[in-house]
Amino acid sequence: MPITDPAPPFDTELQATLAAMPETPPLTLSSIPAAREALAAMMPTVAEAIGDRAVSFTEVLVPGPAGQPAVAVTVLRPREAVPAAAGALVNFHGGGMMVGNRFMDTGRLVDLVLELGVVAVNVEYRLAPEHPHPAPVEDCYAALVWVAANAMQLGVDPDRIVVMGGSAGGGLSAGVALLARDRGGPALAAQLLLCPMIDNLNSTVSSRQCATGGTWTLDANLLGWQSLLGGEADSTQASIYAAPSRATDLAGLPPAFIEVGSAELFRDEDVDYASRLWAAGGQAELHVWSGGFHGFDMYAPGSALAAAALDARLSWLRRVLGA
Amino acid sequence: MPEPVHVSPPLPALAPVSYDPELVAGLAAFLDAVEQLPLRADTILANRAHFASLVPPVEQQLGDRPIDVEHVMAPGPAGAPDIELTVLRPRSGTGSSAGTGTGTPVPGLYLIHGGGMVLGNRHFGVSDAFDLVEEHGVVAVSVEYRLAPEHPHPAPVEDCYAGLLWFAAAASRLGVDPDRIMVWGASAGGGLSAAVALLARDRRGPALAGQLLGCPMIDDRNNTVSSHQYNGIGAWDRSNNHTGWSALLGDERGRAGVSPYAAPARAIDLAGLPPAYIEVGAAEVFRDEAVDYASRLWAAGSQAELHVWAGGYHGFSTFSPDAVVSRAANAARATWLQRTLRLLR
Repeated sequence: MPITDPAPPFDTELQATLAAMPETPPLTLSSIPAAREALAAMMPTVAEAIGDRAVSFTEVLVPGPAGQPAVAVTVLRPREAVPAAAGALVNFHGGGMMVGNRFMDTGRLVDLVLELGVVAVNVEYRLAPEHPHPAPVEDCYAALVWVAANAMQLGVDPDRIVVMGGSAGGGLSAGVALLARDRGGPALAAQLLLCPMIDNLNSTVSSRQCATGGTWTLDANLLGWQSLLGGEADSTQASIYAAPSRATDLAGLPPAFIEVGSAELFRDEDVDYASRLWAAGGQAELHVWSGGFHGFDMYAPGSALAAAALDARLSWLRRVLGA
Repeated sequence: MPEPVHVSPPLPALAPVSYDPELVAGLAAFLDAVEQLPLRADTILANRAHFASLVPPVEQQLGDRPIDVEHVMAPGPAGAPDIELTVLRPRSGTGSSAGTGTGTPVPGLYLIHGGGMVLGNRHFGVSDAFDLVEEHGVVAVSVEYRLAPEHPHPAPVEDCYAGLLWFAAAASRLGVDPDRIMVWGASAGGGLSAAVALLARDRRGPALAGQLLGCPMIDDRNNTVSSHQYNGIGAWDRSNNHTGWSALLGDERGRAGVSPYAAPARAIDLAGLPPAYIEVGAAEVFRDEAVDYASRLWAAGSQAELHVWAGGYHGFSTFSPDAVVSRAANAARATWLQRTLRLLR
């Protein structure tokens, strides 16, 4: 293995957050069920996450992929009247393809619904390893197809649908954007990829530099890809819809926003994806935040770095949504 | 019979990343005002004169803002002429201790102007620092460095470094915290800022608090994807870039052995450098070299923040300041300055 220099240091404020975080046991195949339960127990209900803010929600079961179970989604919308055709954010949660649920993201979606006057559709996809590729990405795609097909009933402008997600959810968003392009599916206005998990090869400099010490380790990442792809986990031939970094043709994709920390595993794969989007003539905005660990905006929402990252994100959403 | 000469097929034309629609008018206005004559070896002097006519003296740019201006001469590099520097300080009595030598020392900004190594002067781009001086009490110093082709490498970067030495030595007299001096430049000024940071590291010179590199010109090889995508379009295109590097490096341009102090992309060792902020448009020549420099800083364990703004042309945040993307770029830069310099509110 090549000699690797130490990772860039964490932002001082984030370092303090990290130091104060309770230690969690490393994720292993056998600890996945317990990790899911622990996460589920931590999550507020949708009503709790909304609190007294002017957002309403409905729970809907939408058709899954052909021959597969229905997909549960939460639809969030401003309680105040919005234009007949609002922008839509179709969100996929993170959790390394193995853990997590859609309620992790309710809080930030409620913020965006209020800030931008959009409708958010938060998707519960099936998880690996019980449901390996293509189950997760096909569930996400099915939810997108449902949103596009029901745009009028949802009060959504079909030309202003954005897919988004963090970590595994960012990878699934990129995968859904590739699927939509290749199947001639819904025309997406944009893809918002937050510290996306897109490269199954784990061979970048940052995957070595940031293997431990942050909030998402190389071991956890390897487990995630193993769970999703099994024997294809480290294959250069893995499906581009599972591992978008494997895609060689990145032309004809919707504008992308890619955000990542400088001190995290996914830094280099995310920078590479942006660079290849540009090389293909595609539009992309890239932000690599100084000293950010994986998911710093979620773990340290009060930090100056998270505030700056959120501002950049909102600016871009306004630009692509015309909001 | 002679061997047939193998000719590589020409590269297919590379589709460029498109401009943010809100920036198109600003780019057109910039080109209309600045690029009246394509920048080529034989038009450098004419372009320089025209460009100078577009840049008002700093006093005029300031209007009635409460900022004091002083022009000073400082020793140049060994055996070279003195250099001129402009010092900007909050006006005495406006509440800041800067310049008085008493009270809490303030951060210092060392400004290096752009212009492709061949154009521009120390009055160009200096307005980027006005708010920081007025609102945060920062002291800014802008350097007049010699330009290519009359003064090829290393004259420009050595002048810039000499000015930094003066600033660091004058820090306490100026009320500046010598540990919070940062270099800041755009375009050629970004390249020179990166180079000054390398020089300061390698000569054990002043410890810099940061390097703010706006759409930096750092790679003389001109062979990235983005350098091919913006050929004949944009506010600084592939041919202009060729002109600038040829003026700075002559026949050495693109060859092995070009100095990293001329073209920081040539540096092999990027460890031990001050925190970098690198910003660039997605729709410009310098995109890929800027991204590569950031990536190699991280790989060396150095700190860097990278922002590549969708649809941004070269210099968009300065020339189209009111566009939504420009406002976001200016706000992101302000947060980094705040985080890095611990500015007074």
